[in-house]
Amino acid sequence: MKPITRRLAVVACAALLTACASGPKHAEVQASIPALKATEGRLYIYRSSSMLGAAIQPNVVVNGKVAGESKPGGFFFVDLAPGTVEVSTSTEVEKKLTLTLEAGQTRYVRTTVGFGLMVGRVYPELVDSAVGAKEIAETSYIGKPLAKP
Amino acid sequence: MTRARFVAVGLCAAASLLAGCASEVRREPVELAVAAGEQGRRVANDGDVEAIPESRYARRIASGTEFVVVGRIAQGLVLKPTQTVLTVEGAHMHEAYAVHRDGQLVGFYLPVERAFTPLVKPAPMPLQERKTP
Repeated sequence: MKPITRRLAVVACAALLTACASGPKHAEVQASIPALKATEGRLYIYRSSSMLGAAIQPNVVVNGKVAGESKPGGFFFVDLAPGTVEVSTSTEVEKKLTLTLEAGQTRYVRTTVGFGLMVGRVYPELVDSAVGAKEIAETSYIGKPLAKP
Repeated sequence: MTRARFVAVGLCAAASLLAGCASEVRREPVELAVAAGEQGRRVANDGDVEAIPESRYARRIASGTEFVVVGRIAQGLVLKPTQTVLTVEGAHMHEAYAVHRDGQLVGFYLPVERAFTPLVKPAPMPLQERKTP
């Protein structure tokens, strides 16, 4: 490999690696995640650690407020009053998900990269709790700092 | 057609496809009423159901999926899945409940939008009773 090609490959690898979530693994923070209040519901928002569109990391907006970022291999959670919820991400277009949330309920929203016209698009999708719980175990925590247990 | 024009037309077609492939899910506002004598009843579909909403993103409901009756709208009985999630997708994605009438899935109820979205064609959906916990 020519030196210039090697350098480009190193830069590309570095860019890909820094694009991934770098927080503690789910298993490491699980005990620090506070118990859900009986009057609220919990939304886990995550993205699998695929390299496809890794550099596209839009904000995730929940009910009009930025709640976190969609990063490959990352997850965070939001506790909300029961009712209707809108989760949205914006790249070249805005993609929305609407769902209901009950008190005491935990739901999972996966963000996925799809192809767009100019750049990739990030879609929020509601997934089965069994699937979400399994997939989130492979991700790292990228939310607000948690108190130690 | 010159080569340049051919390329331009091709690019425009590709751009149109990518930019506008998903349209909004068509919604009819509806009123969810209590399903007298059936509220809370648990049922499961007997056989897989292939549903094609008007937005064309097909949905498959696996055999044995359990639902609870959460009400009735003009188009049929509204069944909320108990262990899984249903969504309808167009330009955006919406949580959805099944709407059942005369042994068929006729569309979806969108609980956030309080609206009904029909299937292109009703799909057979025989139901079996489940024990209420």
